Amino acid sequence: MDIRENRAQKINVTIDGKVCEATTDDTILRIARKNGVYIPTMCYLSKVEPIASCRMCVVEVEGVEGAILSCQARATDGAVITTKSSNLHKQRQNIMKLYNVNHPLECGVCDKSGECDLQNKTLEFGVNTQSFTAKDMSRPVENWGFVSYDPALCIMCEKCVRVANEITGNEALQISTGGYKSSIVNVKKDFNDASLGESAAVCPVGALVSTDFKYTSNSWELDKIPATCAHCSSGCSLYYEVKNDKIYRVTNDFEFRSLCGAGRFGFDFANENTSKDNEAFHKAITAFREADTITFSSHITNEEALILQKLKEKYNYRLVCDEAYGYQQFLKAFGSVSGESLYGANLESLSNSKGIIVLGGRINDDNPMVKYHITMASKRNRARVAYMHPIEDSNISNIVTQFIKYEVGSEEGVAALLANALLQDKELPQGLRDFLNDLDIGNISAESNIGEEELAALVQSLDKKEGFTLVIGSDLYNHPRAVQIAKLIGAIQKYSSFDVLLVPPFTNALGVALICTLDEKVGNYTVGYNAVGDFELSCLGEGDLDMPALNQQEGTFTTIDKRVVPTNVASSYNGYVLNDIANALDLKSIYTIDYTSKLPVKAGFKAMAFDELPFGFDIAGVEHRGYLLVSKPIKAIEIFEEIEEIPAYDGAIIYRCNLNGQFGMLSNRTKALKQDEIYLKGSVQFAIVSKISDGDEVEYIVDGIKYKRIFKLDSSLKGTIALHQNYDMGLSSTLVSSYRFSHLTLEQ
Amino acid sequence: MAGVLFSTWRGELIDNRNKAIDEQTPSAFALPENYTADKASKAFIGWDGVALFDGDIDVVKLATQYAAQYQVYSEACGRCAPGRWGGRILYDLLDKIARGEGSYSDIDHLKEVSETMMLTSKCEIGRTVPKPILDLMEHFSDEFSDLIDNQKSSKHYNQEVNYIAKVTAPCSDMCPAHVDIPAYIEGVRDMQFSDSLSATRQTMPLAHTCGRVCPHPCEDACRRTNLDSPVSIMELKRLGADYETDHTLPWQHPYEPKPLRNDGKKVAIIGAGPAGLTAAYYLALEGIKVDIFEELPVLGGEVAVGVPQYRMPIEKYNKDIELVTSMEAVTVYANHRVDAARLKEIDEEYDATLLAFGTRLSKKVGAENEKPDMQGYWGAISMLDKVNLWHKYRIGSPAQEDLKDKVVVCVGGGFTSMDVVRCSIREGAKKVIMLYRRDEKTIIGNTTYEEYHEAVEEGVEFIFHSAVERIYDEDGKITKLLVNRFELVPDPNGGRAQLLKVEDGDFEIECDYLIPAVSQAADLQLLPAEWELAMTSWGTLLTNGKDYTTSREGLFAAGDCEYGPMTIVNAVGQAKRAASVMVRYLDTGKISLSDDEIMEDHLKALKVYDKKEKVSGWMPGIARENSEKLGVEERKHNNKEVNLGFTGEEAIREAERCMRCYYISMVAV
Repeated sequence: MDIRENRAQKINVTIDGKVCEATTDDTILRIARKNGVYIPTMCYLSKVEPIASCRMCVVEVEGVEGAILSCQARATDGAVITTKSSNLHKQRQNIMKLYNVNHPLECGVCDKSGECDLQNKTLEFGVNTQSFTAKDMSRPVENWGFVSYDPALCIMCEKCVRVANEITGNEALQISTGGYKSSIVNVKKDFNDASLGESAAVCPVGALVSTDFKYTSNSWELDKIPATCAHCSSGCSLYYEVKNDKIYRVTNDFEFRSLCGAGRFGFDFANENTSKDNEAFHKAITAFREADTITFSSHITNEEALILQKLKEKYNYRLVCDEAYGYQQFLKAFGSVSGESLYGANLESLSNSKGIIVLGGRINDDNPMVKYHITMASKRNRARVAYMHPIEDSNISNIVTQFIKYEVGSEEGVAALLANALLQDKELPQGLRDFLNDLDIGNISAESNIGEEELAALVQSLDKKEGFTLVIGSDLYNHPRAVQIAKLIGAIQKYSSFDVLLVPPFTNALGVALICTLDEKVGNYTVGYNAVGDFELSCLGEGDLDMPALNQQEGTFTTIDKRVVPTNVASSYNGYVLNDIANALDLKSIYTIDYTSKLPVKAGFKAMAFDELPFGFDIAGVEHRGYLLVSKPIKAIEIFEEIEEIPAYDGAIIYRCNLNGQFGMLSNRTKALKQDEIYLKGSVQFAIVSKISDGDEVEYIVDGIKYKRIFKLDSSLKGTIALHQNYDMGLSSTLVSSYRFSHLTLEQ
Repeated sequence: MAGVLFSTWRGELIDNRNKAIDEQTPSAFALPENYTADKASKAFIGWDGVALFDGDIDVVKLATQYAAQYQVYSEACGRCAPGRWGGRILYDLLDKIARGEGSYSDIDHLKEVSETMMLTSKCEIGRTVPKPILDLMEHFSDEFSDLIDNQKSSKHYNQEVNYIAKVTAPCSDMCPAHVDIPAYIEGVRDMQFSDSLSATRQTMPLAHTCGRVCPHPCEDACRRTNLDSPVSIMELKRLGADYETDHTLPWQHPYEPKPLRNDGKKVAIIGAGPAGLTAAYYLALEGIKVDIFEELPVLGGEVAVGVPQYRMPIEKYNKDIELVTSMEAVTVYANHRVDAARLKEIDEEYDATLLAFGTRLSKKVGAENEKPDMQGYWGAISMLDKVNLWHKYRIGSPAQEDLKDKVVVCVGGGFTSMDVVRCSIREGAKKVIMLYRRDEKTIIGNTTYEEYHEAVEEGVEFIFHSAVERIYDEDGKITKLLVNRFELVPDPNGGRAQLLKVEDGDFEIECDYLIPAVSQAADLQLLPAEWELAMTSWGTLLTNGKDYTTSREGLFAAGDCEYGPMTIVNAVGQAKRAASVMVRYLDTGKISLSDDEIMEDHLKALKVYDKKEKVSGWMPGIARENSEKLGVEERKHNNKEVNLGFTGEEAIREAERCMRCYYISMVAV
């Protein structure tokens, strides 16, 4: 066992005369890159395991015959490595000659031209002619929806396949082997998956490209605006690529990080053609003077959230943000037991886990980056992934090793059972131990429908492993028993070997939760900022006063990684912004970003100015973007309440869950993601219970909003819970103050 | 026409082209001069050279076809730049020369592409394909020049010649089941675990089992040994199977099972052990109706009732078994003892029958006063039956009732004896002693280092160079043993060392149990005497070891009842071959081997692994990964699986050590 623990030993290797410190876990290529030594590659992608298809990265090692593949070969102590020699150059040049065999010389009409690795390396290795030839094949371009594949341009580097398997987990792309005929195939052609955009992003040539972007612009004509994705709380870094004030596409530092389909294709949500409408502006000021409540969405920057908080402090507004309120309360209760203001895990620690439990969220649809990082842990670490939820999801059986189904509404009991199972042999304060000992396990098991043997199997499957993450989803934040659940989760964070990830439910819910003092209920007159109100300020262009969308603003977000990250203006905006209103209401700041350095240090922010915030990655792939929040110690008060009886959820139930990579009010405004028909999806059993059939139009009310939907049978679903979507509801989609499950009452 | 006219195989250079028969140099290798008994080979070309047997062979076309086989027909490749494009260029340029359109720059290009392929290709197949082509270009340069100078096509360019190619690897060749090892390891490396499993199941349905308890002869033929230490081939097999089981995925078959045939033909299999299950699976994949008859109440044969739970958890083995029994074509009759009369009925009723009933009779140790009915004398097979039936199925009663606080002596030296002593420890025996005639090194060779080492850790006392001379009893109950000591005396003339009895070296051991685990025999009573089946001298069914037909038409035999007590993987390999032969037998009524199987046997005779070969192009000194094992205190009082298997990271790192030593060879007939 100790052999294993000391596995990675420190070693020294010499690369091109430079002595480099490394470990026995490092590959030669990684050591070289860390030390600034360049080794050419065509198939290497830092964020996945070595692919080893291009063979360009071969190096020479003293005393070792032949050429050594540096991307995959680990170094040994004392190795003397040469990365450049006439022989290596010749072999690399020959490989480039081979890559150029029959590669169509049509760079003029190829989207990749100007950012093509093949183009670059062909020039680098001075391959001026196609000296080898082979019989060509006729292979037509395939349109796979969001992306298109041209096998004639494909160099079979396999990066796209790796990403689809190892990161996005869609497993759509596979290699069809067979010598010269080998190609990439899409085995899920029928399902137009936006996550294939991630595979296209890593394509080094023009083989896999965005279908929409194709033939619209040369890459070198586009300006790259570093920004942060506005769709969900992962806050991924990206570049809006812009020409003539129009966003043409989104790219990212794909070498190290990924983007989901919405992040990559859902970029055109700007509030366009706006101007300074003075009349509306004055009405807005009047409304603010009249209002006792500001409602808002968490599609907001930290700076704007701070403006609203300052307005509250000055004018005593109620601040209501349904998307963040439950989360804020949950975080507080969690901290009251864990003793920390923030949760312990982040996306990277999630992907490094050997055991993962997901409770109270829908992995496949809620937050793509959480899913991707679970996928990485599953594929690379063989992580045990236990998925606890009332709805089984066959889409993710490739990453889940144990599904534990519980009854809708029983989450408090489930959290107690889980705490009891994970803390059984831990040292606990007497109060908590007594609380756990007093649990009526039999009764909770019966009510929640979780067998004791299921949890025993779960605990056993984690035996002899280390590195655990408990992922908490948004089913719990607005749960009637959220506070008690949060405390139990806090106890797991504090006393078990699990690190907890409280996935923030919406874009900047974590930032809002840390910056604003939120109220639960609205008063008599509300101003809504990107939310429903008596007077509405809206980035959707349909409100009483226009506001900029999140790609038209500079400012910061607080991400799931507890990182404060900058975003910039990608699309111009000529109307009024929230800061203008604040100034009219006597908060004095020239720019919104003047508030960046004033974000509350007490809540973990740093007094850093916007312009000081870095953006990007270093050569080793370490992220330098914004800064990390500092978790603050909280005095722990461990008081647990008795588990409440579980309310009965009989009959037809609906679960609020946006599918197809949709997130909320922004995603469905975009050309690529907009859906014309939005369904209520359920099983045959659901249809029987609610007496409806496939294709029926149904009407129902959730959170006070009336929905008219076509019901669609979904064969992947079982049971009496249907999936209800609300992303098309504009400002109303932010009204999510309730538990995600609700009874379905059909309107006649 | 026989004899080697020309050969560059494995570094030899034989050129008998212009020599009289009596002056010809023979090749040092078992080259496939005759493809089958009635069909001569014209040439053999492969990773390590080329050999010509027929003076009329068209060498340019031979080279062209070899490149073509690599590029066009080989499914293994197309996944690295040098192999994918280089291989295609080899073929295109050679064909250009062969059809009379070549130039000397093509020769230069061939050499240049070859060099890059040999240095940088991902697999050995890409690195070695140019080798015999360059040999031919060197030694037959006149023929190449003639075609270029005169722009004419090669002499048999338009003539049909039958070329039979086969891809192999040293490990796959050594594996009795010929598992496509590099493919399943690549599946792990790529984290395409379903592909990994699918590769294994092409020839090996028991992926869980052979990912745990296979003695892995493949690792003795791993080329990585020439560089540092062999790849942990066996354990990497678990990954694919565990992935399927952990994620409760649908069965990953190597190909879509064919629909059940409606031709009324059916096969009977006697015994549901590894051989029976394997044959059933491959017959069922072909849509052939199979009925399995099993004497025991449980399925799985010795792996189920012989191999202990801590080595092979039954819930995992059951997955392998379910894979087979879930096939529509398979029906199982458990608790169904087949005796000679029943076998005659079956033989009558079924179109073909496979005997796969193993060897389940423990042999005696050969001591004085050895009476199997004396109390405390317990055959290994029956002892392990009791232990396993209780722990795995709750059938019978705990062996602890018999063994707790007792002194157990086992005589053996193979896997079965290791299972006996380690189970005895777990059943609470006070003292467990293993007597073995030979030494520590041999016992490790017979089993594995881990197995021996773990037994020692658990407290088993090994007494080497010892044998029981006499068993003492009181009123029919064993009391003690008289044991002789031996020593290895080197032969002064340099011959094999001799085991000689040490005078005055005898000693006694007081004990409660003597468990003979020296070997097992087949139960021949179930064979009808009037069939007069041909048998081996060691009492098993005789076949030719290639098609597994017995001396009776329609009756086949595979596994231990054919070979004698051997490994699981041996049983699987034999049964897979037998199933393939049976499929053709059902169709044609004839016994035949496929080209692939013929080539398999040729390559086995030729020996694919060359332990003297110097390996280049790989970083040496990368340590083999070791999976975590339960500590001795964590395991010795229970049946928890001892080997925890690789973590994901360990598995990927270990898979990256695989050098993908695929080779392609081809015979021209």
